[in-house]
Amino acid sequence: MTIALLIEEMLIDLGHKVTALAMRLPQGLDLARDSEIDFAILDVNLDGRMSFPIADVLSARGVPFIFATGYGAAGVDAAYGHHIVMKKPFEMRDLADAINIAAAA
Amino acid sequence: MNLIDTTSGEESANAPFPMGGGELAELIRAFDWSETSIGAIASWPQSLKTVTDMLLRSPLPIVLLWGPEGIMIYNDAYSVFSGGRHPQLLGSKVREGWPEVADFNDNVMKVGLAGETLSYKDQELTLYRRGRGEQVWMNLDYSPVIDESGQPAGVIAFVVETTERMAAQNELRASEERFRALVTAASNVVYRMSADGKEMRLLDGRGLLSDMDMPRVAWQAEYLFPEDRAAVAREIDEAIRNKRMLEIEHRVRRADGSVGWTFSRAIPLFDAAGEITEWFGAASDVTERHSAEHRLRLVVNELNHRVKNNLAMIQAIASQTFRHAESVTQAQADFTSRIMALAQANDLLTGERGVGASLRGVVEQAMRPHFKDDPTRCDIDGPDVKLSPKTALSLSIAMHELTTNALKYGAWSVPTGKVAITWNRQSTAKGERLRMEWRESGGPPVKPPQKRGFGSRLIERGLAAEMAGEVKMHFEPDGLVCAVDAPVTFGEDA
Repeated sequence: MTIALLIEEMLIDLGHKVTALAMRLPQGLDLARDSEIDFAILDVNLDGRMSFPIADVLSARGVPFIFATGYGAAGVDAAYGHHIVMKKPFEMRDLADAINIAAAA
Repeated sequence: MNLIDTTSGEESANAPFPMGGGELAELIRAFDWSETSIGAIASWPQSLKTVTDMLLRSPLPIVLLWGPEGIMIYNDAYSVFSGGRHPQLLGSKVREGWPEVADFNDNVMKVGLAGETLSYKDQELTLYRRGRGEQVWMNLDYSPVIDESGQPAGVIAFVVETTERMAAQNELRASEERFRALVTAASNVVYRMSADGKEMRLLDGRGLLSDMDMPRVAWQAEYLFPEDRAAVAREIDEAIRNKRMLEIEHRVRRADGSVGWTFSRAIPLFDAAGEITEWFGAASDVTERHSAEHRLRLVVNELNHRVKNNLAMIQAIASQTFRHAESVTQAQADFTSRIMALAQANDLLTGERGVGASLRGVVEQAMRPHFKDDPTRCDIDGPDVKLSPKTALSLSIAMHELTTNALKYGAWSVPTGKVAITWNRQSTAKGERLRMEWRESGGPPVKPPQKRGFGSRLIERGLAAEMAGEVKMHFEPDGLVCAVDAPVTFGEDA
């Protein structure tokens, strides 16, 4: 959660508005389905459960997203290999670049 | 030569017997046969003379056993075979000449004089030819010798020693046994495979794999899983192309049907032209090592992940601490104490993935160090609830923030202040909830802070999201109250 707060602060500094934080798969799925968002950052491991179902919901809605995980690219299923994977820890500059690339794709 | 009278009687009767020949011919001529049951040479029947002449001219070891006593007459080759027993053997009774095999020769005499033959191949006997017993192997052929009366009068024996060949054979057999023992000790399975790798000719599975007694083309279907076959075939083709040892670790279907792993090595055997004729291989069961490696890989991955996560958390803590700092000195102190809290929280999580900590454990670890000697200043009460590692970590950090705040500004900043932490499970319309409360009392009068710091943001926003519930801080006049309302399922994976 500390990391989520850090990312949140980075996002605010970058001029974005953070709609919500979710630390668990069900809450994340609810947010992905129902909230008004134009971008998402997904940790791969949400307290022991993989966040790929959230990725599926976002893809279906056409909401761009990136992964951020301590596992690095190896932690992401091959099926999602075309999405950007940020390896924790990362800098604000990297986050800004990743968001720009993913949002433009 | 002058002993023989050449002037009297018939030329043939008086000619020295036996004529010419080697050492034995001379010894026979010189021997006083009148002391034996055969009698002097002059009285020998022609049949005896003929056979003696014949055997003396043979390169094969031959011995003639004449009369019921088996008086021994033999040639040079037999004298070599007899070793130290020669020349005492000449003219002796066979049962006495070779006392160590008297029974054997007794049978020979009985059978031979009854007109029968005997034949032994690689017969093993213990003989004392050089003063000590030695194992000797021989091909022995016995046949009766008929005299002028038409009755068997002696037995002729052809003695071909095969000890050297048998010793070589035995050594080869022992060597093969040693080799087999070595293979058994070193591996579980041995196999022979055709030059092109397509046919398994023989496979001794040793209980690990099912045996294959007949050459089979479809061996891969027997031992390999469909998805592994292409990779195994590729390795075999590679080894064939390079004419090099095949070394491969692969999954197998074991004899009991279970999935296992083998480490297999096969060497190519070549013909004179340097082409592979077949493969000889051995494979051992490495299933246990393989699963240990697999577990180790998982642990290393998980460890790597946790290290990365911790670094990211340190990054977050540093960023938050220094960004909102009032002074560098204060920020350094806060940063150090937060890192210490993170380290302590990690201690709760040692152990395997998914094994979490208890709520009580987290609370006690955060609070007890400050009031070890005065438990009345912190009151902890609630049922045990299991937390996932991540929640335990978040709660630990939140507890650290509350504790630090209480020590600096709150109830614990004065000698009489207390903190009570209580929690329970409650059934509500929204399902079973965990209600947790941090309540300070007896401290200095509380006034709400001008701006929210990292600590309160972390608790109200971070912990709330982490527990999928609500966390509120109330700055009540008697002391700070922090209330958590979250579904009990927050700590479970379901």
